[in-house]
Amino acid sequence: MLLKKTLSGFSVLFVSGFLSLSAGLVSAQNLENGQQLFQTLCARCHGMLGEGSEGPSLTRPNLVHAPDDAALVSLIVGGIPGTGMPGSRQLRGQDGPDVAAYVRSLGELPPEEMPGDAVAGAQVYRGIGNCSSCHILNGVGNGIGPELSKVGQRRNAAYLRLSVISPEVDQPRLVDRFRGSLKAFLTVRIVSEYGSYEGMRINEDAFTVQMRDMEGEIYSFEKSALISYEKVQGHSLMPGYNSVLDEKQVDDVVSYLMSQK
Amino acid sequence: MKLTALSKTKLFPTFFLLCLGCSSVLADTPFEALLADETNGADWLSYSGGYKSQRFSPLSQINTVNVDQLKVMWAYQMQPTGINGAALQETTPLVAGNVMYITESPSSVTALDTRTGRVLWHFVPDITNDVLNIGFPRINRGVALLDDKVYVATLDARLFALDAATGAVRWETTVADNSLGFSLTLAPLALEGKIVVGVSGAEAGVRGYIDAYDSETGERLWRTFTVPAPGEPGSETWQGDDWQTGGGSTWLTGSYDPELDLLYWTTGNPAPDWNGDLRPGDNLFTCAVLALDPDTGEMEWFFQYTPHDTHDWDANQIPVLVDGEFEGKERKLLALANRNAFYYLLDRETGEYLLGEEYSFQTWSEGIDDNGRPIVIPNTEPMREGNLVWPSLQGATNWFSPSYNPQTQQFFVPNRRMGAIYFKSDVEYEPGMPFLGGGEQPLDGDDASGAILALDVMTGEQQWEFELQTPPWSGVMATAGGLVFGSSNEGNFFALDAEDGDPLWFFNSGAHIRTNPMGFSVDGNQRVAIIGGQTLFVFGLE
Repeated sequence: MLLKKTLSGFSVLFVSGFLSLSAGLVSAQNLENGQQLFQTLCARCHGMLGEGSEGPSLTRPNLVHAPDDAALVSLIVGGIPGTGMPGSRQLRGQDGPDVAAYVRSLGELPPEEMPGDAVAGAQVYRGIGNCSSCHILNGVGNGIGPELSKVGQRRNAAYLRLSVISPEVDQPRLVDRFRGSLKAFLTVRIVSEYGSYEGMRINEDAFTVQMRDMEGEIYSFEKSALISYEKVQGHSLMPGYNSVLDEKQVDDVVSYLMSQK
Repeated sequence: MKLTALSKTKLFPTFFLLCLGCSSVLADTPFEALLADETNGADWLSYSGGYKSQRFSPLSQINTVNVDQLKVMWAYQMQPTGINGAALQETTPLVAGNVMYITESPSSVTALDTRTGRVLWHFVPDITNDVLNIGFPRINRGVALLDDKVYVATLDARLFALDAATGAVRWETTVADNSLGFSLTLAPLALEGKIVVGVSGAEAGVRGYIDAYDSETGERLWRTFTVPAPGEPGSETWQGDDWQTGGGSTWLTGSYDPELDLLYWTTGNPAPDWNGDLRPGDNLFTCAVLALDPDTGEMEWFFQYTPHDTHDWDANQIPVLVDGEFEGKERKLLALANRNAFYYLLDRETGEYLLGEEYSFQTWSEGIDDNGRPIVIPNTEPMREGNLVWPSLQGATNWFSPSYNPQTQQFFVPNRRMGAIYFKSDVEYEPGMPFLGGGEQPLDGDDASGAILALDVMTGEQQWEFELQTPPWSGVMATAGGLVFGSSNEGNFFALDAEDGDPLWFFNSGAHIRTNPMGFSVDGNQRVAIIGGQTLFVFGLE
């Protein structure tokens, strides 16, 4: 499980000396405090090493929502409205700047290398992959699966590779302030007196469920009137592409997606 | 205007015009009316609908046959003053005569006409953005009523007495020092001539207490600390100076037995929350229920649900007073569904432990021994590398209210089904700063769920469950109409058949629901109220 990952190699970050953050010089003690808080508060989505998973990778010098250190502290404490990033309002005093300093230290790691050729990957995306039949990228394509514009800001190579070859393993989530982290593309199979339906759950409460099918048609059902309702965990309506693409093509399309920033 | 025989609400001429018949009411709630609150369905005079805290409406006009015809009679949209946009609203409205009193986060009070929802007055204390709230949102759970006054406890730890007719301040007093992390979010409890309040702040390492104030003057009558000083009973469960920052906050309204003349109040977690190494011992009287003499504050007995808690399982749930036959003997009981996933029955006269049954999935205890002490499974404490335990720190239930139907002896509990990875870390106490010693990562969203449970009050045995999409943050109310009203994070307000849990009616309020339902009547017609998001909805048939 995510949290059992080894932490070896972490201390390397601290011997590199001092980072400057707007509040002044940052000591190894600040970074250690920041690291500890990061592991408790941030690692579930951003990874124990900041490598990203459900949340974006933080191992890069420029963070989209945090152009400067003050903005970084502010979003760590206050969250980013309209995204899955909650605030950590329990952070007080030096704790917020310490987490920010630690996040900045992650950005000093070298940027992730692309496994293949992004230009060739664009051909795979448009050609054999036929990805735009289900994804919108920079305004082009069909909106069945997740939008891929700027996906390189949000996802690292490992996550993108997994999404291409085994999309059922993990899916994008919506983080609702009151409901938690919900799968945004959960497959549901519904049988009502009018027929059988398969699609992606859009929303759900105790009494009703809303679904979009592969044609983009939206349905709303009252659960008590259904013959059956199945949430298919560990399933994706996107096929795994390891049978369609060879290893190089996978590397190339992952690189193309990484370049979407 | 119809008033039940039991309502002590007095009629006065021309305070304000409520109908063409010129009947008018001056809000007045004598102690005798509070004693009769349980059986008076027309009003709802205290947080839990009576001193027994059963949150049961004896009205039956709305019932299993006609509940599907419920409609919105009126709505009131709050005007939140909170920072960072929309606030959470956790108030339980009170109704006395034809006036409803609600609080709006963080600490405002609004009086509404129960017929129309029109505002009668609005009181806004000055709660600045720098007021601390460490470990909980900037909310308030409601007011208390006594005689001609309305009492509100504020986020910055003051207690106000307001004139019930106008909202003007009669007196105010400072209960605690907010700069240390103390806050007041609970609905006060009104007893004869006194107002009882408790404090929040264990996440800031406060030493908790319960206070009683003279209802007329605001003078403090007594203070009972929940963590003993050296030499006091219970101090043997602490080491060194740990007691000074020991937590044990008292942030939820208690219950009262007028015959035994005992006040029941619950206590929260020891501090720091997740690093128990920093406070060895059982940490009395945290995570407990205390029985107090309401005249002196002296402790008559206590029962600690979770000794040496390390998961933040406050016992700040509603202690429900139940009378009935337990194992062949008529007893006065105290029922509590605890955050730690066990349902408990105590003898409320003596504090004797009678029953402890698991009501929700948990992984930390093999059960409860004959003395009421949990048999803790080793290695279930928070760990530096994380440790997955059920339930999450928010518990198998929480502050939102259960309900008890005395006619069917059913106990209804909103149930949170979620695990969490608990972490332990180092922490040093600093005044007015978080004092946590760790944290958690909850397994939320699709990895969690919720339910409304019906339990046999005498055995804790589950009779039925109604599943919810996500772990709820809202309470339930049973009625004599055979219904259980509840709500969800998804915004549904719904009615279940109390007999089998079948859903009979639901309404989409359009926003998360984070409070308790309550009921009253207008001109003899039953009403049910709930708040979704920032909007108070009042439902009825006619």
